[in-house]
Amino acid sequence: MDPGEQQVLVVIFDVSPVWWGLKSLQGQAHITKFFDSLIIFMNSYLMLHSDNKLAVIASHSTKSIFLYPPPQAGNEQNSSEYGDCRDKHFAVVDNAIISSFKTLMSDGCEEKDMRSDSLIAGSMANALCYIHRITQELESRERASSRILVVKAADDAASQYMSFMNVIFAAQKEHVVVDSCVLGQDSGLLQQACDMTGGLYLKVPSQYAFLQYLLTAFLTEPELRKDSLVLSRTKSLHSVDYRAACFCHRCLVEVGFVCSVCLSIFCQFSPICSTCETVFRPSSLVLKSRKKRKVPSRSSSPCTDASIK
Amino acid sequence: MNGIERVKLECKSLHQYLCTLPQALLESLYEHPATCTVVFRELPQLAKYYVMRVLFVDKPITKVAVTSWATNEARSEHTEAVAALCDLHVWNEVILPGGVSSAYSLSFTFRKNLQKTLIGGGESWSSTAHLGPDKHAKDVAELDKYATERWEALLHFLVGSASNSAISQDLQDLLVQSGLIRVGEEDGRRYTNITAKGFQFLLLDSGSQVWFFVLEYLNWVRDRGMNLVPILRFIFELSFSSVGKVSKVCSLPNVTWSQSTKAKFLQDLPTDGKDDRVLQCLQHFREMGLVMQRKRTSRRFYPTRLVINIASRMQNSSSSALSTGFIIAETNYRIYAYTNSELQYAILALFCEMLYRFPNVCVLQLTRESVQTAVVNGITADQILHFIRANAHPDMLKNDPVIAPTLADQVRLWAMERDRLTFQEGVLYNQFLAQHDFEVLRNYARELGALVWENAAKRNMIVTKDAHDQVKRYWKRYKKESGT
Repeated sequence: MDPGEQQVLVVIFDVSPVWWGLKSLQGQAHITKFFDSLIIFMNSYLMLHSDNKLAVIASHSTKSIFLYPPPQAGNEQNSSEYGDCRDKHFAVVDNAIISSFKTLMSDGCEEKDMRSDSLIAGSMANALCYIHRITQELESRERASSRILVVKAADDAASQYMSFMNVIFAAQKEHVVVDSCVLGQDSGLLQQACDMTGGLYLKVPSQYAFLQYLLTAFLTEPELRKDSLVLSRTKSLHSVDYRAACFCHRCLVEVGFVCSVCLSIFCQFSPICSTCETVFRPSSLVLKSRKKRKVPSRSSSPCTDASIK
Repeated sequence: MNGIERVKLECKSLHQYLCTLPQALLESLYEHPATCTVVFRELPQLAKYYVMRVLFVDKPITKVAVTSWATNEARSEHTEAVAALCDLHVWNEVILPGGVSSAYSLSFTFRKNLQKTLIGGGESWSSTAHLGPDKHAKDVAELDKYATERWEALLHFLVGSASNSAISQDLQDLLVQSGLIRVGEEDGRRYTNITAKGFQFLLLDSGSQVWFFVLEYLNWVRDRGMNLVPILRFIFELSFSSVGKVSKVCSLPNVTWSQSTKAKFLQDLPTDGKDDRVLQCLQHFREMGLVMQRKRTSRRFYPTRLVINIASRMQNSSSSALSTGFIIAETNYRIYAYTNSELQYAILALFCEMLYRFPNVCVLQLTRESVQTAVVNGITADQILHFIRANAHPDMLKNDPVIAPTLADQVRLWAMERDRLTFQEGVLYNQFLAQHDFEVLRNYARELGALVWENAAKRNMIVTKDAHDQVKRYWKRYKKESGT
């Protein structure tokens, strides 16, 4: 909790057109309301310390876009646009975010965008790259504590499982904490991400409480949160869904086949591993027994899943 | 070191300073969003989150609930945070209508203005947009030069070096009041002398110096019965004008700063008394080099790097001097100072004798006389050594210890020479008629621990002043007893 330590926060906002459209039609939630709350939250974050760094990524169904810092202007915009006073600085940040959000919204979506999920994994990868760059730039100074906050609306897509896992491992290695705030259904992937990186996973029940949730739980630094704040009565995260997705059909499996060479997971037996092209030519007996060796259903992490074979 | 006044220069943090202000004053300070933000940033970490947590909760929070926010391990931090919030009257204790439990509520003005900062609204901050571009725009180098010049003029005055850049009466008063200089009169001529505090002040890095000075300035303003609020507000706004750029300037050294140092101007200055004071304050700051204004009547001014230093000073109190050292001190008591700064020469001349001067270096000699002159002026040997160590040349820093022991010891010894005599008040007892009388009284005084000196042959003894009465009483009783 060194006060001199710099904080980097990347907020990923899920703007899946299908989910928000449905909610809006049902009159349950409006993306603008959530977006307002999010902006206040980001301002509060910036207010905590003048050195705090922020980036915002919108995660669309087929693309992820940096809302802030604006990509086209790059660095020079950053430095010259920091206003004269804090209020202005907020205004600059807010305006940049809002204008790029507007552009994103008015661009509309095409046929191919009509998917029920959004590119969370891609956005997270972007976020990690951004954090990496920032920390490289600050090399000479003390280490920055960095964090990703995912505000997720749409449902999980098993097709993203692979990239998601890679992102999680990368984050773990870089000591980036992943927090997630889920608006829709529980997300197994994000639960895993938060659990493995020491982040906080919360499901927000109503849109009116969204800001309060953000300010109470997600404003705090992970270290402080762990050491000194009580955020929930129940200590442990209830049942994290650690199921892995198979490589062949991208469906979540509890029991599956694992390639002994590259540890790929399959829901059906195939004689040639599709990932590393290892040919399995055991006798039918061994093959049988191998078939029966099953992956234990709920062990602590996918790594161990795979290594147990 | 008994004869010398021993003073410690204390430099409060902003938080400590604000705690000394009365509640009404704080409340009126909170009327301004910038102040709220500054105060908010100064809070302990946990306290910041507590404020954020209740910012949009209008009801008071019961003490029990507040206690449950922190884990048991963080109990001390929690208490500290709550205490800080209450000290600054950001949180006020209230009794709930039920009357059973007391609760904390966030100060209304503070809440309102912090919300304003976050969400927007309220009147806009001052800007120079309506003035159009500045014809005489300055760039960073010029601003820096200006700031350094002004600040060094002040320090020059402090060290009393002959310098043609005199400073105004107001600042002189301020220096005297803060105890950095002493004014005396000799042969009808006023002269100023640096005090021990002043020397300690010189040893600080410029960030701390500015902050100390601003604090003293505030006290000075307060003593004159002026309204602190607009001035504090002005200072906060001023420090904010640069906060956003501090990190930028540090991380991207090549970025030209002039663009971001957009001129700030006090917009729409009405001519009531309050804002005249701010203008006066602006002139003072201009003189110190904290802000740069082209002409007294100019309608805009630029904050300089010194104000940025205030801001960063408020955030981390242990900012170290960034400039590299320039002093090499040898065991033959010679000091080589690789600098062009007149000011540094003047500071060194406080305790050294100048031997030679070259364009980029000067050679000085530490002598017994020079050190003792310094000691007479209230500078201690430790301060001299600290100054040398703090400004040691990188080559000298390779030594371990940095200052050779012989040199350090000798400086201390020279300083201690001043302390050979200690003065103690006492009462002389003499003209004892009998050796026995003398011995009885002497033994009694010795048992008391009050005997300062004795001469048995001449039957003289000196007793401390405190014990005089007691010894006298004993003597009278003794005489009476022996007489009867």
